[in-house]
Amino acid sequence: MYRLSEKQIDFILNDIGARGVEMASLQQSLLDHVCCIIEQNLEENGDFESFYNTTIQTFYKKELREIEEETILLLTFKNYYKMKKVMIFSGAVSVAAFMFGSFFKVMHWPGAGIMLVCAIMLVSFLFLPLLFILKTRELDSLKNKVILGIGTVLGIMFCMSTLFKVMHWPGANMMWLIGIAIAFLLFLPFYFFSGIRNPETKMNTIVSSVIIVIVVGNLFMLTNLRPNNPTKIFTYLQSEALLAKMHHSVGDTSVLSADNQKLADEINSTCKAIKALVLQDEIGEPVLPKDFDAQKEMIIESSLGDAFMAGDKGQQLILKLKTQVEQYNSAVGNTDSQIAVANSVMDMDFARMDLYTNIFVLNNVTQVQLQLANAVRNTMAGR
Amino acid sequence: MIYSSELIKGTLKTIVLKLLSDNTRMYGYEITQKVKELTFNKIQITEGALYPTLHALESDGLVTTETEYIGKRVRKYYRLSESGKGKTVEKVNELADFMETMVFLLDLKPRVAAL
Repeated sequence: MYRLSEKQIDFILNDIGARGVEMASLQQSLLDHVCCIIEQNLEENGDFESFYNTTIQTFYKKELREIEEETILLLTFKNYYKMKKVMIFSGAVSVAAFMFGSFFKVMHWPGAGIMLVCAIMLVSFLFLPLLFILKTRELDSLKNKVILGIGTVLGIMFCMSTLFKVMHWPGANMMWLIGIAIAFLLFLPFYFFSGIRNPETKMNTIVSSVIIVIVVGNLFMLTNLRPNNPTKIFTYLQSEALLAKMHHSVGDTSVLSADNQKLADEINSTCKAIKALVLQDEIGEPVLPKDFDAQKEMIIESSLGDAFMAGDKGQQLILKLKTQVEQYNSAVGNTDSQIAVANSVMDMDFARMDLYTNIFVLNNVTQVQLQLANAVRNTMAGR
Repeated sequence: MIYSSELIKGTLKTIVLKLLSDNTRMYGYEITQKVKELTFNKIQITEGALYPTLHALESDGLVTTETEYIGKRVRKYYRLSESGKGKTVEKVNELADFMETMVFLLDLKPRVAAL
């Protein structure tokens, strides 16, 4: 029986560490194991170093690190079935959320937005990562793992760019274009040439590659390469400037009768409330800040938010404005001072809210205010 | 004949659990030697399979460990936990059932009947 010296034990421990085994408990287990083997099998004056080297080689196929990798794998995939269940569940929930969300959106029912956002979040942060983790385990070559990794990142990027787009967060377009570039220049070549070499996967690879090219190509055709047009908001900004000037030139002096002044004030405050609803959606504030930069903030023409759907706050405010304007019109009597209801927000068809846009509402409501301000000026001039 | 590692892989957990239930506490090297001895060298558990399995059993709470210093090195002893005892019975029964099924499937009746 061989007796190991402390120096030799240190040597073995160091060597195990140097061979890439990093877990302390595993190092100690292997150390004890090797020592046992040496003590049992090496003659008292045997050659320690060569015996150790041949022994340690029987522990592995390629590298000693395999043992640690296998250990980590077993520890990580203790929850394999739980992860699989969570993946399937999150997938099912997000599919349901996508379907109901889309249906609600078509019907202009409230809650569509939140459902779609939840679906995108679930897919990108639970379903796709879990799919990647579980699938990589089944793949043996590093190349396939990399392809799956790129595919997963691409999926998440596409989801996120859509989410950023609908939430009006910056960077959506850039992310989208980078995604398409990675899909075409990196993912597809990798995927295609590795799959086509294997006779078993050849047909599948060709078919899926063609489908991916068609889908991504179509999406790319829909992509607007020019930057979004920020000029549509300019008209509104000019109208606001004009309104401010008119208010300024009239000043505080009230020329209307007390009753009419009250009606005019009410109309103005309802108009502000409607605009606040739109602006809150676009810039996160109820009024335009003094230093508002249309080039930077980029309010893009888009459909109205949920607040304007199905009897919600926006529609209530518009109905309120209509009543107030009708009261005012009948109070002032003469046509010059009346506010035109036709072709204004007050004339909106609530069943077809998809026809109207954020910029239409902002412009139109401001024009109502301009007409009111003009009526006040007329009254002043008439005095 | 030494059995292939694929065959051992699926039964290693059961083997380790059963050994621990028969031997109160054991350490890694001891387990490999015991298996060798009991199977007349037919089953040789590799270190690369044993230690990952032991760590997994520990993290599943099926075994508890105690460490002892042997000079400069640390020896880790494994012992069945309460849940490990139940699991052992379950695993051994499962394997026995599996073997019976294999007997049918591969038509091995005469040899196994002699056991």
